[in-house]
Amino acid sequence: MLKNYFKIFIKVASQNKLFTFLSLFGISLTIMFVMIFSMTISKITTGSGPEKNLKKIVFCQRVSVHETHNGKKVGGFSISGCGRSLCEDHLKNVKNANIISMYSGPQPWEFIFNGKYQSKLQNQTDAEYWNLYDYKFLQGRPYNKEEVTKSSNLAVITRSLKELLFGSDENVLGKTVRYTSMNLVVTGVVEDPPKTAQNAMGDLYFPYTLIKNNDPTEEYLGGFIIAFKANSSKQFGPIRNEAQEMVARLDAADTLHSVFLSGPYSQVEKMMVGYGDPEEYSVGTSLFKYLMYALAFLLLPAINLMALNFARIHERGEEIAVRKSFGAASRVLRGQFLFENILMTLTGGVIGIILSYLVVAFLGNSLTLRVNFMGSVPLSFSFNYLVFIAALISCLIFGLLSGYLPAIRLSRMKPAVYLKGGEL
Amino acid sequence: MIKLENISKVYRTKEIETLALDNINFEVREGEFVSVMGPSGCGKSTLLNIIGLLDEPDKGKLNLNNLEILSYEDKKTARMRNQLVGFIFQSFHLIKELNVYDNVELPLIYRKTPQAERKKRVMEALEKVGLVNRMQHYPSQLSGGQCQRAAIARAVAGDPKIILADEPTGNLDSIIGHEVVGILADLNSKGTTIVMVTHDEMIAKSTHRIVRLFDGRLVG
Ligand SMILES: Nc1ncnc2c1ncn2[C@@H]1O[C@H](COP(=O)(O)OP(=O)(O)O)[C@@H](O)[C@H]1O
Ligand SMILES: [Mg+2]
Repeated sequence: MLKNYFKIFIKVASQNKLFTFLSLFGISLTIMFVMIFSMTISKITTGSGPEKNLKKIVFCQRVSVHETHNGKKVGGFSISGCGRSLCEDHLKNVKNANIISMYSGPQPWEFIFNGKYQSKLQNQTDAEYWNLYDYKFLQGRPYNKEEVTKSSNLAVITRSLKELLFGSDENVLGKTVRYTSMNLVVTGVVEDPPKTAQNAMGDLYFPYTLIKNNDPTEEYLGGFIIAFKANSSKQFGPIRNEAQEMVARLDAADTLHSVFLSGPYSQVEKMMVGYGDPEEYSVGTSLFKYLMYALAFLLLPAINLMALNFARIHERGEEIAVRKSFGAASRVLRGQFLFENILMTLTGGVIGIILSYLVVAFLGNSLTLRVNFMGSVPLSFSFNYLVFIAALISCLIFGLLSGYLPAIRLSRMKPAVYLKGGEL
Repeated sequence: MIKLENISKVYRTKEIETLALDNINFEVREGEFVSVMGPSGCGKSTLLNIIGLLDEPDKGKLNLNNLEILSYEDKKTARMRNQLVGFIFQSFHLIKELNVYDNVELPLIYRKTPQAERKKRVMEALEKVGLVNRMQHYPSQLSGGQCQRAAIARAVAGDPKIILADEPTGNLDSIIGHEVVGILADLNSKGTTIVMVTHDEMIAKSTHRIVRLFDGRLVG
């Protein structure tokens, strides 16, 4: 039976090449986008380069503070990264995490070198940062806890920054890098993190204690990200509870402010929530929003294919009538049509997957996907089985969405109309 | 085998109502070979479609193989068409995407006959019509006579009690036409009940009985 349907599918598809092309075109392109998008996102969320433990890390990067009067929110309201004191005096004491690190995250660093404008990234970190992420040290060592506490003028630079500043010089340990008005002594050189790393980013790293301009009156707000590494993702819940309880205590003790901490979130959650008002954007609403986008994205080509299917139902009239005459029930015919349609969408899916590999292979480095306001990442490969499942499920949804209604119409056609035995 | 009582069928389109069959009473006994004759548009095809459960009458009772048709539920009529009836059409209506073998196999596929049994039955049917050497051909590669023989093989592959043939010789020249009717007569001699629409008096006379339709009514 399926063999019979398969033969029909091949014949019908090869006889009406324009229709086949139109059907496959929409599906293939959509699957290609789904594939490229999910491969790249999967690459980011799995972690690459120094982020090999990404799946065990949760982050807080947004705090909001409302001024309050008698327990009611009034007037002023600010959102920012985590404050230095909030991190140092409170969040760093979370017990359920193995490693807790605070850092500014990548910040723009623009300077003129040898008469040329340069745009690089600098990242102000604590010593724990080097335990949290697995940078590959080519020379030297990271700065340690004591050096951070003492605000030592030290820096870790990447290989590309070293090549820019020092050219072919072999050993650059002990040489200085000028950052604003400071001369930082290089203690280590690391391999550049890949562009797909979204947390371990930067060209120049130095102790966050070197920056003194943090407003001491701002207890909660500042420019820091705080990251908690757990033994496994099972610890995420306890870590979140602990962090939230700490902030709740601060909130209760402060009669002039109401404080809200967003997270801690995993990489996936963090990407969904983004940098908006932390009280407005929760993982749930973001997930819903993205699912709606995805559905709309899949719905358009599905509707297109459905319209094509409707338009040519009458072409199949004679075949349907003959099959009915010889005993096909409507349900069986619906099954046949859906089967053919899913074969069509799966074929489109396979073409889409091949296209996505070709696009990533040939254009991956010149095309980027924007993931947040800081960065775009190059389109990337990832052999994650989830990506294939995403493509496959998309094809099935396609096949069902675009085939179901036409199949019903088709199975209800009156055979007598197409079997005019007498007149020709 | 086939019994129609007061069967009427009206076709309604936006502009007109056509009374295609008007109070038809008609019986065919088991093993009979009956010809249906009448001018174009008198309701012959409609009659065959109603007997074959491809169309529903507006009034009257239909009895097939001692079973009164009370409802036209899709699954039930599909099963009856599959097991009881074999259709032959003037313009063959072979599925053009399938070769002769696959076309003939069609009724057996909807009956869920096992593969080996299917093959045996298809080969037997093809032997009956002398088309074994053409079984890999597609309809477009066959002559009209060969197409109609393939269609007959398809109609008999499921070994139905009734064959309904709507002008089976209409598209064939007279020699080939007689050959095709010969095959039908042969099937009839082995017990198959046949109702055949034809315009050819000679062919009609070679069957057991002639029924004449005029404007949806039986005459003579
Ligand atoms: N599906 C239909 N819709 C409307 N009228 C139809 C339909 N089928 C047949 N008719 C009309 O019913 C009458 C009988 O048709 P038919 O049974 O095909 O005649 P015959 O086979 O004797 O030539 C004709 O007038 C024809 O125009
Ligand atoms: Mg007719």
